[in-house]
Amino acid sequence: MERKNFLKSLVIGAVSSSVLVEACKKDTDTATTTTTTSGSSSSGSTSGSTDSSSCSVVPTETEGPYPTKSPASYVRSDITDGRTGYKLTVNITIKNSNSSCAALSSALVDIWHCDAEGNYSEYGGSGTQSTNYTTVHFLRGRQTTDSNGLVTFTSIFPGWYTGRATHIHVHVYNSSGTSLKVTQIAFPEGTGTALAAVSGYSKGMSGYTYNASDGVFSDGYTLELATVTGSTTAGFVLAISLSVPA
Amino acid sequence: MQKRVIILCYRKIIDARSVKQWDKLVFESTYLEFKMQAQNFSHGTAYTSYAELMRNVPNAQRITGMVTPSVTGYVQQLGSIMPDILNNIGRRFLTFSRFQLEIINSDINDKDKHQVAINFYSEPLIWHDTIDNYLLLSVHSPENQSSAENNSISTNLMQLQPYINISSLQYHN
Repeated sequence: MERKNFLKSLVIGAVSSSVLVEACKKDTDTATTTTTTSGSSSSGSTSGSTDSSSCSVVPTETEGPYPTKSPASYVRSDITDGRTGYKLTVNITIKNSNSSCAALSSALVDIWHCDAEGNYSEYGGSGTQSTNYTTVHFLRGRQTTDSNGLVTFTSIFPGWYTGRATHIHVHVYNSSGTSLKVTQIAFPEGTGTALAAVSGYSKGMSGYTYNASDGVFSDGYTLELATVTGSTTAGFVLAISLSVPA
Repeated sequence: MQKRVIILCYRKIIDARSVKQWDKLVFESTYLEFKMQAQNFSHGTAYTSYAELMRNVPNAQRITGMVTPSVTGYVQQLGSIMPDILNNIGRRFLTFSRFQLEIINSDINDKDKHQVAINFYSEPLIWHDTIDNYLLLSVHSPENQSSAENNSISTNLMQLQPYINISSLQYHN
């Protein structure tokens, strides 16, 4: 019974948000003092206690290892993550429509698309679950444009799902993360195209939505249409130039 | 005797006032990612704050999960050792395998408003006793069973402190 009351009091303390906010302010104020008195170097380390109550012991540990800058795990060129499908190299060139369509360097380019079966990786989800850090986000990636405005990704040729033509999502940002353009890349259709060669993988093309009937592309997609070359054996190469106002 | 097996959750708050290097890196990384991902939802609206997006834009609750990959690299650098939380002789001793990012507040146009928490969940621990304001804990694993020879196990004393919660409790025989 006593134990129950004790647990109850812990829970009550935890849900009282105003108390937490106050406590947080206090803690942050004392954090500097704690660091100073612990005698650790000014660069800090993961071993310091910033926010325990004032009567708690200060850390007494060997310093380091020191944290190093680590980009978001979206930042990679090969976004395949073990998904099977025909290899697709994606070359996207970003140009600045506010500067005579000159190449835009240092722009951040996010792309994402579905797998051969038409499924996207978990992206966000409900956000309510704790996560193991091995969690993957297949077929999603980020690259920074070079001096020619070019980014390259290695992926697989996307599949399709009901209601949409095959496409790749693209979000272009400037170097500080401000959105410049959200768009989608469309694929050429018809005899001899990569789309025809892949033929929807195991799904086939029955029930496929072509660009002309697609809710996103049907209002015109000439500026979103990529060039796709190659074959199922050698792999495909996609190229497109996107002009964005930077 | 019944064993009480608990999981501790440490809610580590990170904001513009954070002073430690790891915290600052996480602050910068999560802010950039928040700004980038939130624009997928703020597009075409006047909303810029996390709270406004959550209240008004469908699916905005996905933002937290989308921002999480910006901290995974930093969490890995901790090597499964929970930061900040010390035993009574000043050493970090808790290990974790799960974490959960939480966005408390943020704004696409105002970095100072950015405040996140990383919730670290400890491995299962046996809560042997409570001594004054301290919990007497040991790791609940097959490797840490009391040895037949001296009938003792390795334990740690941890002070109850703000931002530490017992997030689950289980009785074992």
